[in-house]
Amino acid sequence: MVRPPGKFVQAILVLVVAFLIFEYGIRPPMPFSLLSLYLAITLMAVLVYVSSDSESWRAFVAPLWATLTEPGRRQLRLGLGVLLPLLVGYYAYSQAAAKAEAPVELRAIHPAPPTSISFRGKQIDLQATDTPVRKDIAANPANGAKHFAAGGALYVRNCLYCHGDNLDGQGHFAHGFNPAPADFTDPGTIAQLSEGFLFWRVAKGGPGLPKESTPWNSAMPAWEDRLTEEQIWQVIYYLYETTGAKPRVMDAGHAALPRPSREDGSASLLVRGGHLLRPRAAEAQPPADPGAGKALYEQKCALCHGASGKGDGPAAELLLPRPRDFTAGKYKIRSTASGQLPTDRDLFRVISEGMPGTSMPAWKMLPEKDRWALVAYLKDFAGAFKGAKPEAAKVPGEVASSEASIKRGKEMFEAIECNKCHGQAGRGDPAPGSDLKDDWGHPVWPANLHKPWTFRGGHERKDVAMRLSTGLMGSPMPTFLDSVEKPEDIWHLANYVRSLGPDRPNWASLLQVQAVTGEIPLDPNAEFWRKIPAANFPLVGQVIVDPRSFNPTIDMIDVRAVHTDTDVAFHLTWDDPTASEPGKGAPKPDMVALQFPTGAGEGERPYFLMGDGGKPVYLLTWRAGAGVGEATAAGIGKVTPQQGEAVQAKGQAVYDAGQYRAVIRRPVKTGDRADFAFPVGEFFPMAFWAWDGSEGDEGARAAVTSWYYVRLEAPASTRRFVIPPIAALVTVGLELGLSRWARRRRDRQGP
Amino acid sequence: MRMRVLASVLMVALVAAAALLAWNQPAGAQGGGTIAGEVKVTGSAPAPKTVKVNKDTEVCGSEKKIADVAVGAGNGLVNAVVSVTDAKGAKAAKKPALDQKGCEFHPEVLVMAPGEVDILNSDGVLHNVHTFSTANPAINKAQPKFKKVMTEKFDKPEAIKIQCDAHSWMHGWIFVTESLAAVTDEKGSFKLENVPAGKHKVEVWHPVLGKQSKEVEVKPGQEARVSFELAAKK
Repeated sequence: MVRPPGKFVQAILVLVVAFLIFEYGIRPPMPFSLLSLYLAITLMAVLVYVSSDSESWRAFVAPLWATLTEPGRRQLRLGLGVLLPLLVGYYAYSQAAAKAEAPVELRAIHPAPPTSISFRGKQIDLQATDTPVRKDIAANPANGAKHFAAGGALYVRNCLYCHGDNLDGQGHFAHGFNPAPADFTDPGTIAQLSEGFLFWRVAKGGPGLPKESTPWNSAMPAWEDRLTEEQIWQVIYYLYETTGAKPRVMDAGHAALPRPSREDGSASLLVRGGHLLRPRAAEAQPPADPGAGKALYEQKCALCHGASGKGDGPAAELLLPRPRDFTAGKYKIRSTASGQLPTDRDLFRVISEGMPGTSMPAWKMLPEKDRWALVAYLKDFAGAFKGAKPEAAKVPGEVASSEASIKRGKEMFEAIECNKCHGQAGRGDPAPGSDLKDDWGHPVWPANLHKPWTFRGGHERKDVAMRLSTGLMGSPMPTFLDSVEKPEDIWHLANYVRSLGPDRPNWASLLQVQAVTGEIPLDPNAEFWRKIPAANFPLVGQVIVDPRSFNPTIDMIDVRAVHTDTDVAFHLTWDDPTASEPGKGAPKPDMVALQFPTGAGEGERPYFLMGDGGKPVYLLTWRAGAGVGEATAAGIGKVTPQQGEAVQAKGQAVYDAGQYRAVIRRPVKTGDRADFAFPVGEFFPMAFWAWDGSEGDEGARAAVTSWYYVRLEAPASTRRFVIPPIAALVTVGLELGLSRWARRRRDRQGP
Repeated sequence: MRMRVLASVLMVALVAAAALLAWNQPAGAQGGGTIAGEVKVTGSAPAPKTVKVNKDTEVCGSEKKIADVAVGAGNGLVNAVVSVTDAKGAKAAKKPALDQKGCEFHPEVLVMAPGEVDILNSDGVLHNVHTFSTANPAINKAQPKFKKVMTEKFDKPEAIKIQCDAHSWMHGWIFVTESLAAVTDEKGSFKLENVPAGKHKVEVWHPVLGKQSKEVEVKPGQEARVSFELAAKK
């Protein structure tokens, strides 16, 4: 007979189980503050339960009491006596030395919309029950397909980059923006809103938001500059039709025209023929007929890959790499030898995982059966699949990563001349004039091996070994399976490649400017800078103002920053596959800019795209051939460089093996009102710009970030070394007191 | 009288022998006839481009002249393939070879019967063999400096474009055919030997200027001449 565990052990068990459920049992994971709140409630409940009668309470306290008093538990007492103060001390240290985090900004997500807006000189009633597009469809249902197709084409050519192919706010530029682009599949977004509200948001964008919604943070363009009224209504129609959400009706009093709902949405699609618009709710059902692949393809893939599978959908010409042309049967990500078709599983994998670093998203949200239906349909596009049974290539046995393996991999990297395309250091910087093209004649960039998170076929060692083994058909990347000295060299190479960069970048939301003493070196390669931690910021294409940049080559900037009493300096590192300086064969110079508010930076922020007339920005710049400069800007293309004496910033840049490193240093106080006066200890906004001259970048055509936070840290205080010992000592004191009290009480009560 | 009979018999024997010889000729060791001629370019072909070499200059040289339409002396079209579409090519004595030398394909246009070909790397730098085929599998295989020979198989008749992405100017063609075929030389001339006597269709093919065919009659032991004119469209 096993003795049931005591009350104390039971209580501990309940707490542990509660913790496990809260931590691992609930998805999405809850924040720590909520977790601790739930645990505290659980603890209270346990305490109430065990103290419900005095017998139970005594049973609960007995082990604690015994630990405090029994001579036999002296060892345990001593152990706990040392451990507890240490834990408290450590907790105090972790709190005192906590990493600074960017301040949380409260903003109204769905502010109250105006009742009407002026759109290109026309007054538009946002409370109208039915949009012109819906009225047209109600009058003539056959027009539904037309509006839907137009809305889809507009969406993929304008909205896709941020809001994503899946309308889930996960476009390939989404990670560059804070706040993140809206997720239309979230029931908290368009399903809560009226179509008039959406029209207002699309037409007026971030700049049109009221103050409580911090318009200066939003990267949403004001589309009235680019789209017509009908086009905006078409996009809105597309959003609702595709997500299956129902627009909210603002004024239910009006006689509503019939509109698709989750139920009749599938009925209306029959009217439209080719377009199968199955709402999300229906997606869990397996495809009912063999045409399911075709229907899914037309719904999910055709806007990029084209209805005929030629990779020529309405989105295609703006995307790089281009969407795959399925008719050629040439696939990059394969487990089969060069010249072979991919296996079904290869196709399934790419559909499921997407292609990192491109606009091809992961389609995991589709049921497996649907993804298999798509695989079957894709194969129909290329005749070569008929009767073919592609088989996976035999990749040599895996070799674990080790220092010796990485060393051998580097030797092989040089022997087989990976540098020819991927650059000396592997940063995807082929020799100038390399002119790499895919089989369709579109320009391609070799992978930057320092950024494994952009590897199209995945960044695991086995993925890299497979790409080396089978090549990327249709691209210049050949197979190396029989072209290394020994078969296992494939793995040494993969191990070396994977030693070059982390799995994923460490995107920062705050740049901490460390306090240092002495002169800050201007040499970007100075040992000094190696010791300063870098913050990574993602850069994405500027797709709001013409000329737009849909495929920027610069996608990240690493920033180190320090300040002294007199100077502040920024050390910038960014990869650019080509160095372009005017006068050295390049038509346009490479450039980088750090953007700040002007003056003391108080109040609202300027618009993130170089401000505007009302609120200009201050820029610290570096430009190939011209060096470091300062400027103010009142919008894109309205940059006024400072001249002569006004320029107090200094700096240098070096270009080496596909990478720029630059230092820009400026006196903290310049006495110039247009300059930014860097305040110490305060959060202020900062944004980044980069231009790749050889790609034609100039002016609006640039890579950009939205606003981030920077703070000049006060010189490190000694607080984090003082508080923890005090906390530990206080704990020791409490322990001693408790144990003395317990023993005295025991002595009074007798043994 | 006896003399006359003998003379007659001799004459008959001589005639018979001559006739026999004449009848035997086409099947003899000499083979059939020969087709020779020129391929000319009419109109103005695009001028050759000069590409500055930016890597491996020690083996590739500093400049490459790239002509999509290579025109030789007397407007002769260089590197066109002339084939007798209805006559089978003789079996090659040895395996055909395509060399990569000085960062160029040698020959630039290789004619071969379906089967294997040795691809050589005489340069000692990385090349990659990237083919654009449809009947045969399209391959893209790396050939690093230490890989001197790679054997590839092209089983099906087809004109296959071949390029090296590491050296963007490197282009060549592998013309896989079962027919008797030859490549025009630097004057645009060609010569096809051992063509069986009779009427044949002779076809010329050029990657840019396209195809043209003519009918040619080959007489035993004789050279039939044929010339083609391909128009360069600007």
